[in-house]
Order: sequence, then structure tokens, then C-alpha cells
Amino acid sequence: MEDYEAQEQEFMRKLEELEVSRSQMLKRSLAAAAGLTILSSPGAALAARARGDKNPPLKGRGFSLKEMVAEAKKEGHLNTIALPPDWANYGEVMSTFTKKYGIQITNDNPNGSSAQENEAVRSLKGDSRAPDVVDVSPAFAVSGASEGLYARYFPSTFATIPRAMKDTRGYWYGDYWGAISIGYNQNLVPNPPKTFADLLKSEYKGKVALNGSPLTSGSAIAGVFAAALANGGSVSNVAPGIDWFQKLKQSGNFIPVGTTPQTVASGQTPISIDWDYNNLAYVSEFPAARWKVTIPSDGVYGGYYAQAINKNAPHPWAARLWQEFVYSDQGQILYLKGFAHPARFNDLAKRKKLPKSLLDALPAPSLYAKAKFASLGQQTQAKAVIASQWPAKMGG
Amino acid sequence: MKPRRFIAPSALPWLLLAAIYFLVPLIATLLFSLKSNQTGKCCTVANYSWVIHNGDFWHTLKISFLLALETIVISLLLFVPTIYWVHLKLPKLRPVIAFLALIPFVVPPIVMVVGLLRFFKGSPDWFYAKPWGFLAGAYVILAFPYMFFSLDAGFRSIDVHTLTEASQSLGARWTTTLVKVILPNIRAAALAGSFLTLAIVMGEFTIANLAAFKTFPIFIQLVNETQGFPAGALTLLSFGITWAAMLSLLLVGRKRGARGAIVPATR
Amino acid sequence: MAWLATLPFFAYTILFLFAPAGSVLVGAFQGKTSGYTLENVRTLFHSPYIDAFKTSIEVSFVTALIGAVVGLLVAYAAIRDGTPRWIRSGLTTFSGVAANFGGIPLAFAFIATLGPLGIVTVFFRNRGWDPTAHGISLFTKTGVEITYMYFQLPLMILVIAPAIDGLKREWREASSNLGASQLQFWRFVGIPVLMPSLLGAMILLFGNAFAAYATAYSLTSGTVNLVPILIGAYYSGNVLDNPHLAQAMAFGMFVVLAAMMVVYIPLQRRAARWAK
Repeated sequence: MEDYEAQEQEFMRKLEELEVSRSQMLKRSLAAAAGLTILSSPGAALAARARGDKNPPLKGRGFSLKEMVAEAKKEGHLNTIALPPDWANYGEVMSTFTKKYGIQITNDNPNGSSAQENEAVRSLKGDSRAPDVVDVSPAFAVSGASEGLYARYFPSTFATIPRAMKDTRGYWYGDYWGAISIGYNQNLVPNPPKTFADLLKSEYKGKVALNGSPLTSGSAIAGVFAAALANGGSVSNVAPGIDWFQKLKQSGNFIPVGTTPQTVASGQTPISIDWDYNNLAYVSEFPAARWKVTIPSDGVYGGYYAQAINKNAPHPWAARLWQEFVYSDQGQILYLKGFAHPARFNDLAKRKKLPKSLLDALPAPSLYAKAKFASLGQQTQAKAVIASQWPAKMGG
Repeated sequence: MKPRRFIAPSALPWLLLAAIYFLVPLIATLLFSLKSNQTGKCCTVANYSWVIHNGDFWHTLKISFLLALETIVISLLLFVPTIYWVHLKLPKLRPVIAFLALIPFVVPPIVMVVGLLRFFKGSPDWFYAKPWGFLAGAYVILAFPYMFFSLDAGFRSIDVHTLTEASQSLGARWTTTLVKVILPNIRAAALAGSFLTLAIVMGEFTIANLAAFKTFPIFIQLVNETQGFPAGALTLLSFGITWAAMLSLLLVGRKRGARGAIVPATR
Repeated sequence: MAWLATLPFFAYTILFLFAPAGSVLVGAFQGKTSGYTLENVRTLFHSPYIDAFKTSIEVSFVTALIGAVVGLLVAYAAIRDGTPRWIRSGLTTFSGVAANFGGIPLAFAFIATLGPLGIVTVFFRNRGWDPTAHGISLFTKTGVEITYMYFQLPLMILVIAPAIDGLKREWREASSNLGASQLQFWRFVGIPVLMPSLLGAMILLFGNAFAAYATAYSLTSGTVNLVPILIGAYYSGNVLDNPHLAQAMAFGMFVVLAAMMVVYIPLQRRAARWAK
């Protein structure tokens, strides 16, 4: 059998035994990702393109994986962008890909925004440093597709990605989703908050933080959506969410500093409203903070991110191989290890491929059952409302 | 009135105020950086060890430091003769250049990098894809306001006309005048501008980030956004390293400095 | 043709400065889809943009003024006779580093000092006076100003030091021989000599604060509304996406700085008058 097939079997076996503890996995992925950011030379890859190799396929299904791996290996490199190593376990996703296929990854701008990803595709067009693949929020996936930034491709498992999370023409496809959660430091917050209503209590004075500003951060805007759902609003009416944050600020509970690993580790943001996969990653990352995570029962808001291939990717075969990997069972389970719900969650659950230990690490499925997602139209509308109301109500 | 031998009493409160204001936040960061990830309490050097043993730390530091030196050299070569000339022959041009020197503040780095990337898209790889070309070019512009106002203050405090006339009447060519007479007299100002340029390059993030180069500030930002306690250690280490770089610049400047008297700007 | 010698300089600035700056000025007047419009500029006069400009100008002005005054006093204290040489070297090199210390590390250092759990806050709390209970918070406009001083002060010190060097000791001697007091020296000799450099330094500090973004964002996530933060939000955020509005805001910044220059030039000419 091929090298990578053997590796995958070994991965699945280890997973069942779960010999490796979670914190060790996290440490390894962080270490691996740190090494991934070293400057590497894509010169060889460009030379391969110049030799005039054949065109990559439109559909993964039915195409020989062996051939795709061979072509990708000839390119020898993959450029990714805006993949923080500790976000949905991307560190391990990238290092596993490299180990499995022997293809080095250069990860540019790890904490970049979706807008910066699309801009990199635009600005670096034709340059060997341009990103091959992107992981963007749905709004930017749609605008990127309509602008002609992406190539069409159908990963082999495309059919098992939920309809609501993909572009049927094959320009982009959702890779994982999460829900807004409340994370808290048990040392500084002895009485855990369970709902948005709880957070207004006076015992949480000066303790509640968001992951950035809703004007720039996707997870912050999701926090506003969740607050809206908890306060009589809906995915088409986020104004109650903004009002709730204003109340939080007036009560003195809100601190405007954006959550970072430093603020969590030091206890400066004892309570953080953020995606579940981010908050859950902190649990093992900072044992001293005794971080715990819950999904607020009064407002459950979900959001997903989407993969796409750069139409002018410097390494088109490696890009498609990446998608095959990300949407394989192994890739999707790696997301689950990072506490994110993979897009093919339902398919994997049906085929009983989800390890119980990983499922147990997530909050109870009943909490997620009520999750609401906003459509693109609703998101655009919400952004406009936030742009006009947030600075006035929260500023000064 | 002979020179004071000891520090003036009226100087002390200001120096103390500055010392307290500058040092306390650094001490707070230090205390944070000595905490252990396991217990959340003092004291461990594990965070410093993490930084020092990280290959990217040294790699990106070297790139940024060399980039800073390159930017300083290009800036001095470009701005010193120009400002000298303006002070000497074209004083009316001074406000124009001063105005131009404010433009880098107005163009947000985000806008600048996007504009530059599109403008230089077709240019050869040795310029476009390497930090020594594209990035250095952009950094010279970023350093421009600081270089200009420093050099300008320096040129003001000397008598350019007298110096030039004296030097030329002794038969010196323009280049000799510039290098052997003028430059030593504006040494302090040139050094100040160089310090600021070094600091700018060692701290510039947005342009390098969006143009996909891997410099030291990029590394710092990554650590700050993904690590807890090591980020504090990195902050202090980078502070210390940049300070050491400044001190070495100072020593270099001092060694090559003139021993001649500074001609005051009286006339 | 004396101006020919300045050609390399202008060639360079055209290539590297005018190109991107030009795209800003043009883009400010472009519509989201096509064509030209004044709509973007008109929007600037409404909330929250006009508030952002007011706050930005205020923060920049305050930190430039205080930075200039305190910076001058500190620099003078370090450079004057009697102060050991190492204090000056230490201060100027430290200033070189601190002048560009910003973003997350600076914000974190101040949160660790003056934040709700900062060492200074806890120090006072343990002694019976809780700053947070009295509404004192780092995450306000004043807090941002205090944090900004960390790079404004060093910038001032670096820029004014060469000018202070130009204040000859002989002048102090001469003025005291003529019977003038310390205050009179400063009023009639010291400050007027320094004034052009002081004004230049203040403009530099103003521009420096006006364009600063990362520190305020890390500290307050945009609740203190500043223009560069809004520009960042519109130009490259995850949420908003209207580059032309961002360019209009940059154009607004340009107008503000141009206005400052219009004030600066005649003031500066007056100040330099005595030297002729």
C-alpha cells in the first residue's frame, strides 16, 4: 500500500486507543505549526509549473488519488493563509498533511482576516507566494466566487457536505462549524455563568470580554448574534444583541480588551465570549487558568468557515490534494480534535466513525441542538446594523 | 559660571518621573513572563527558554536587523544630501518637503501596501519577492517623516552657509564638504533619525504581513496571538535586543564622529 | 539649476509615495461598483465617522502637547550640564526602542500595570483604595492617551535632543552675566531658539498619534473610536467591506494634516525670524 494509506491506518488506530493525551496533541501541533512558518523556497514549484504539466481535474471522485499525490509531490509545496495553529487544530491538520504527503506548507499571515485572504489572492496574483487555498467566512466566500478569485473543484466527499454549507457550482465548501460559547476562569469566577442573562450579574464586574470588535472580528459579530437570540432578537434582528452589550457595558461588567491567549493565561479576561473551538482549546493550553466552557442556553448561534482554491494557485495539484485531505474522514476528525464540528459531522456519525472520547470533550449535543445559523442576506443586514449602532452605543 | 559637577536638583524630578513611567509597565510584563503555565505563579525561565530555542526567533530577527540597516543606509544616502541642499540653496522648498514628509502618516499602511503591490506587480523577482527590494523601499518612505524632522532640526542648529563657504574656500569639492564637514556636525541628528528608523523596521507589521514577508514583528505578532506567557518573555527579549542594537549604533556613530567643534547657528 | 540635485529624492517619493497615496485620493471619490461620487466624503460628516475624527484629533493633540512639554523637560534634564553622560545615552537609546513599542505588547504591558488586575491597581486596592470602584478605567480615551505617551515621549526626546545641543552654554553664561534669571533666560532666549524645532516636533507627534492603530485596538477593541481603527475595519476586516469609504477616511486624515501644516508654516516662519 502507499505510504499515506499506511499513515492513515496508523492514525485511525491510535485514535481509537487515544494513547496521546489532548494537551500533548495540542503542544505538538503548536510546535509543528511554529516550525511551519519558516521561510521556504517555492522556486522548485514554479519550475514545475513552467515545464507545462497537465491540468488538474474538476472532480476528485473517480480520479486516481495516487496520481494526484504524484503530481502534487512534483509541485512540492503548498501556500496556505490565515490558519492559526490553535484554531480548530489547524496546527495538526497542516503537520499531518506534510507528514503524510511530504509536501511543505508555508502558512502566511496566521491571524489574518477573510478580507485579507481574498486581498492576498488579488494582490499576489501570478506571484509564487500567492495562497493556494483559503479558509474564509461565507460572506467572503460568496464575494470571492463572484469576483472570479476561485477555481471550481468538487472534493470526492462533496456529496456528504450539507447543502446549506456549500456552493453547488463547486467554488467553495464549508469545512467546519462552531457555536458561540462562554469560557471562564474557575479561579477568578467561582460561580459559573450559564446564560447571557447570568452575565449581567454584579459578581462579574469587569470580567466579560469579546474576541475583538464586531466591526472587524467574525467571532465578535457572532457574539452579538448570540446575544440577540438570547434577548428577544433573531438572526434577522441583531439590535437587541447590541442593546444587551450596551447594558453589559453600563453595568461595568464589560471590558473592551480583546481576548488573546495572554489575557486568558494571565486572568485579565476571566470570561470570554468566543467560538466554542477557541474557548475549548484554552482548557488544555492554560492549565493554570482552569478554563471551563459552556454553551449559553438562552442563545445558541452557529457559524461556519469555507475552503476554496485560488484560481491562479501557484500549486494547483497540491491545492486539490489539500482539499481531498481536509474533507477526508481523517481531516474532518482532526477538526473534531480541535473542538470544531466538521462539516461532514452527520455523515461520519451515521457511519459511526466519530471517536467517543472526542465527542465527550465537546459540550453536550443537546446544547447544540438549538443552534441557529444566519443566511448570507441576514449577515449582511446585521453588519450594516452593527456598523451604524455599535460605535455610538458602545463608544466613548 | 563654570559647568556643574553634579546633577541639577531641578532635573531630578523629571528624570525620576520618566524612569518610573517607562519602567513600571516593563516590570509588570517581566512578572508575567516569569509565571509558569502549569501553576500560573512565579517563577520559571521556561518561557524565555521557549523563545530562545525557537528557530524562527533567530531567523526573523536576522532578516529584520539586516533590513533595518539597509533602510538606514538608503535613507541617509537619499535624505542627507537633499536636505543639505535645500537648506543651502533652496530654502523655499523646505515647507514643500516638510509637507511631503507628513504624507506617510496619512496613508494607512494597509492602503500603502495594497497600492505598492499593485503598482510593482510586473517588476522582477529580485525586487518584488525579496524583502531587500520591495520592503526596504517601502520602509524608507515610512522612515521619511522621522528622518526629515530629525535631520531638519540638526541642520538648523548648525550654520550651513558658513561651513560650506569655509570648506569650499579651502578647495574642497562638494562631496568632501558633505562627508567631512557637514556630516560630522549633524551626527546627533542623523543618529536620532537612524535610531527611529531601526525601531520602525523592527516594529513594522502591516506592510510585511500583507506582502507576505516573514520579518521579526510578524513572528512577535504570531506569538502574541497564540501563546500566553512566552509572549511576555518575547516582548522583553525583543525590547532588550533592539536596545542593544541602538547602543551599538551609538558606539559606531561615536567612534567615527568628528572631534571638531560644532559651529553654532548664530549670524 | 540647483533643484536638479533634489531629483533622486523626488523620483523616489514619486515611485514609492505618490503611487499609493494617489490611489487613496482617487479611490476616495469612487463608488462601490463604478463611477465617481461624493457620497463617501459626505458620509464622513455623520456619526460614527465624524466622532472618530473628533476623538482622533483630540487624542493626537493632547498626546502631542503633553508629549512635547514633558519630553522637552525630560530631555533637557538629561542633556544639561551636571547630568552624568550615561543618563543621556541610556535615555536616547531607550527612547529609540520605546518610540516604536506599540500594539499588543504595549497594550498588554499597560493592562498588566493599570488594568483591573494590574500591579498598580492591585497595589492601591490592597491599601484600601479601589480605583475600579471609583470608575477609573484604563479602557477609556484617557487610558489610551496615557498608553500613547509611552511612544510619544520617547519620540519627542529623540527629536528635540539635537536642538537642545544647539543651546550653547555660553548663552546661559552671557544671559546670567547680563543679570537675567533662569525664567527670563528661557522666556527670551531658550524657548524662542527652540521654537521652530518644538513646533516641528509637535507636528511629528501629532501625525504619529493620529496614524497609530494597533495599540488602541488592542486596548479597547474599537470602543474608543479612532479613525485608523475604522479604516482597518472597512479595508480588511472580517465583517465590513467598503474600501472606498476607507479611502475617503484616509482622505479626511490627509485634510486634517494639511490643515495642521497650514497653521504650522506661518507660525514656524515667525519663530525662525529672529535667526535672520
